[in-house]
Amino acid sequence: MAGKRQDAALAALVAAARRSAAARRLAGDVEEHLLQSIVDATVSLFDAEASSIALFEPDPDRLVFRVAAGAQGAGAIGRSVKPTQGIAGFVYSTGQALALSDVASDPRFDRKAAERTGYVPRSIAAVPLLDEHHGSVGVLQVLDKRGEPTFSLRDMELLAVFAGQATVGIAAARVQRDTARLLATVLSRIGPDLDERQVAALVSAATRDLESDADAPFWALVDQVARLRAMSDAELTLVSDLLEVIARHAEGRSRRGRRA
Amino acid sequence: MSDLELPAWSEPFVGAAGDPGRLARRMRIRGISREWAWGGATGAGVRVGIIDSGLEVDHPALLGRVVQSVAVEVVDGEPTLVENDTAGDLFGHGTACGGIIVGLAPEVELVSIRVLGADLRGKGSAFVAGLEWAVEQGLRVCNLSLSSKSDALYPVFHELVDEAYFRGICLVSAANNVPAPSYPSLFSSVFSIAAHSEPDPERFYYNPNPPVEFGAWGVDVPIAWRNGGSTVATGNSFAAPHIAGIVARIVSKHPDLTPFEVKAVLAAIADNPRPRVRPGTRRAGASVPAG
Repeated sequence: MAGKRQDAALAALVAAARRSAAARRLAGDVEEHLLQSIVDATVSLFDAEASSIALFEPDPDRLVFRVAAGAQGAGAIGRSVKPTQGIAGFVYSTGQALALSDVASDPRFDRKAAERTGYVPRSIAAVPLLDEHHGSVGVLQVLDKRGEPTFSLRDMELLAVFAGQATVGIAAARVQRDTARLLATVLSRIGPDLDERQVAALVSAATRDLESDADAPFWALVDQVARLRAMSDAELTLVSDLLEVIARHAEGRSRRGRRA
Repeated sequence: MSDLELPAWSEPFVGAAGDPGRLARRMRIRGISREWAWGGATGAGVRVGIIDSGLEVDHPALLGRVVQSVAVEVVDGEPTLVENDTAGDLFGHGTACGGIIVGLAPEVELVSIRVLGADLRGKGSAFVAGLEWAVEQGLRVCNLSLSSKSDALYPVFHELVDEAYFRGICLVSAANNVPAPSYPSLFSSVFSIAAHSEPDPERFYYNPNPPVEFGAWGVDVPIAWRNGGSTVATGNSFAAPHIAGIVARIVSKHPDLTPFEVKAVLAAIADNPRPRVRPGTRRAGASVPAG
């Protein structure tokens, strides 16, 4: 009985993973693209030297700088800090927006970490990325507005709006990214006899099947649809009409099949 | 940029000084002036709790006024109070708030309640436990330059801040400039504070459009920071302790005032501009007799 339930749950989850893989294939890495567009916009609007977004990653707990923009931003990508340290850590922990100027002369500022990125800022503004249900999920930072030594209240509030946009995007994208983790969690709950290695093997088998040759025609279609993004409105209407005809034909065939 | 809809708790206070149309208030209470409220007051005899990242006890900006340091650590998911916390200030933020308060009320007694620590998963419950302890101890004023977004903690905070209010404890809470609820700064039983940008620690405004009721200096504020250092910072975090310091002064001179009365006094002596007087209308700033 438990085995049957496990199989049914696994099948449902594989179907979910399949849909999310299709969505990922259609849109690329949504989260990365969206976050990048937000730091790009931040740098340009604030005329800043750099902007970056760090997201919280558990086990071990770190704030990982995922995207950056601006002349001095590149060195930050991939770097990570403890979520209980530094300005990013404070903003993450408290949910309070904060701006500091004179950062380099602040004895607590982690100069070594900044030097590793090749850039030591004079001023920094940081706002939390606040998820509706889970509190802080990361931090959006801006370093050094050109021409102005500090950040104004309006800067802080505007930055909060950008952070809000980032959070909405992250919440949507994480549904896709967490599929494997979700599979593993559910499997370990419904199959208490399974050890970690068996769970990992099952997850890997389920997700590997998504890319198997048996699905090649489906993935080819997904890839074709992804290419449609480059089309004009008129071409898209044509493709949409064609698909409509084919879909109706397929539905008719399946109804006839059932009657037979 | 100005067309964007901003989550602007600070918005009412931007440019308030130079614009008589903004925040104009007629209310004054006869006999209630700044001199009455805090003239000669130093905060002596008032214990002020700072629920934050800890206090650097020997920081020169704190003038040796820290009388007690406790912490809430989360052990196996359970918040546990640690008496005699020796961790100091993990970030510098608590010390910054303490420095602002002591700058306004140099004889207060500061009590550090450190709720920010290594275990991030327990931070919401640590915050609640720290606030609970402060209320039990009857600390007269508490500065809360932090907030929680946890929906699960909403009723817990609500009950706790009401209990504080009924016990006469003034909770001074920094509003969070994000377009989402944050607790406890949105409850009416706390003093909810956002920032203005005029560099004067004693300048504050009363906002008749809640949830944020008061605006104090929070832009480019020189602050104490970790390792005996200092820096310049912006945030509602640094506006709240200005009001906490002023409230400490007021209650040191008038120990019987309730939080409701302290708010009324603040509103009466705030820097809000008077309404424009139109010819032939009643005299602006007409007084309401006190008591």
